[in-house]
Amino acid sequence: MRTNIIGIYEDDEVLLKAVDKLQENGVKVADVMSPFPIHGIFERLNLTTRMPLATFLYGAFGTISVFAFLYWTSVVSYPLKFGGKPLNTLSFIIIMFVLTIFVGTFFTFMTYFIREKMYPGKEVELPVPETTNDKFVIVVNKTEEMTNADINNINKLMKESGAIEIIESDVNYNS
Amino acid sequence: MDLDIKYKVGGTFRIATILMVLIGIIAIVMGFMSGETDRTWANLLLNNFYFLSLAIGATFWMTMSAITQAGWSTAYLRIPQAMSMWLVISFVLWFFMFFGIHDLYHWTHPDAVAHDPILMHKSGYLNVPFFTIRFVIFFALWILLTFLLRNMSIKQDTAAEGENVRLFEKFEFTSKITIFVLAFSFSLFAIDWLMSLDPHWYSTIYAFKKFVSAFLHGTAIITAIAVLLHMNGYLPMLTKSHKADFSRYIFALSIIWGYMWLSQYLLIWYANIPEETIYYVPRIMSDYKEFFYAELILNWLIPFLFLMWNRVGKTNWGLLTITAVLIIGQWVELYMSIMPGTVDSHSISYIEIGSFIGYFGLFALVIATVLSKANLIPKHHPYLMESLHDDH
Repeated sequence: MRTNIIGIYEDDEVLLKAVDKLQENGVKVADVMSPFPIHGIFERLNLTTRMPLATFLYGAFGTISVFAFLYWTSVVSYPLKFGGKPLNTLSFIIIMFVLTIFVGTFFTFMTYFIREKMYPGKEVELPVPETTNDKFVIVVNKTEEMTNADINNINKLMKESGAIEIIESDVNYNS
Repeated sequence: MDLDIKYKVGGTFRIATILMVLIGIIAIVMGFMSGETDRTWANLLLNNFYFLSLAIGATFWMTMSAITQAGWSTAYLRIPQAMSMWLVISFVLWFFMFFGIHDLYHWTHPDAVAHDPILMHKSGYLNVPFFTIRFVIFFALWILLTFLLRNMSIKQDTAAEGENVRLFEKFEFTSKITIFVLAFSFSLFAIDWLMSLDPHWYSTIYAFKKFVSAFLHGTAIITAIAVLLHMNGYLPMLTKSHKADFSRYIFALSIIWGYMWLSQYLLIWYANIPEETIYYVPRIMSDYKEFFYAELILNWLIPFLFLMWNRVGKTNWGLLTITAVLIIGQWVELYMSIMPGTVDSHSISYIEIGSFIGYFGLFALVIATVLSKANLIPKHHPYLMESLHDDH
């Protein structure tokens, strides 16, 4: 069974320094949990995300499909001239603009929920539930190859960098 | 980090800009000599408005970061301050425009107004004495406020601990006044000098669009100057996150610019009232057509598509390319605003290019000289440390 070593911190600045210290000593930090977004943590953990690309593609899909729909309804299926305007007109732009934002946002949220396996009524799966309140957490995966000395070293580094508590949790938290 | 950074104007730079000014003077004189008086005046108006709006946009950028108490921009505040000093030169250059108002503005001819009920109706506001009074009041206010702001910021460099915070608060208060004065007076200024070229036509969003344009292009020039100084070894604090901030600024403003462009065009197109559409008829249905689309592509589409890609906005070349596009974009925008209402046949030749080079050289020379007068970063600004250590 996989378990994690979890260091609990009380301040975001302390946590940032602790992440630096762990990484300097060659420890791979699996994740960080915090009640609010911390500036700079994303770059420190070398995380990458394809979310912006996904949003762009959803937005492009939204623009094209909404235009196709408008074109089909007002030019192909039921052409109705009004106000002397051409059938394929500029007045599409506002609808396309608004629906592009809607489609982009909606599908981005859906992608997020699916990737995070979230659904209404889901039980919280957090190693330390206080991370939604006032605690900050560093998660280090405990791997098979780790010797006892390695684990003691990680514990020591966390203690030195200001962790108020270090626990081991087997909540199946996959990063 | 050593906070005493002094910018020195290079000899080659000085000679190059002076040569550019000479080219400009020759082009303008040749324009007048060749009998194309209308066209030369129109170009002078274009260039005057171009560089005035850069100074106004830069001032707005600076006051905006003061009232929002933005930390990241603190290290670059000297650049908009230097750009706002252009207002003094601009005031002198605009004065020459009064010799040309009869060539440019239809409503300045009393006999034309007498036979025109619409102009007669507007003559309470659009008449030469009141026009001149407004011009002087606006410039007096702008120069006064920008001088006050710059002096406060320079005084801060030598201020003691505690005193600098007081000056910072005073700067913020003056910024609040400046932001209102600028928004109101520059809008009226744009109506006076640009919209009244087509005195029968009006658009309520015109002035605001010109204001957004000034803000967008002023920001672009601030970015370009910051990047160029950085590439020449000054401003070592210009990190990737600062570049990302600059690029987001341009990105957001170019979207607002596009929104304003569409808001004006779409409503006029939809309502289809002859008095309003008359403005767009010569701009779309004649040989101005290319400029009409170029305006939208250069100012909105290219910055929008390229800055959306996060990586472009974090590089020097990316920011410089986008700002170069926007420099041309603003020229095209003003060309579209001015030329159809002033000249009979238009073309781009030595007058257009030469006068722009001349103004550009003078602007660069003035900004560089003003930048060299004070420390390149406001070294006792309370938020400076936040700006320097903005490493996320």
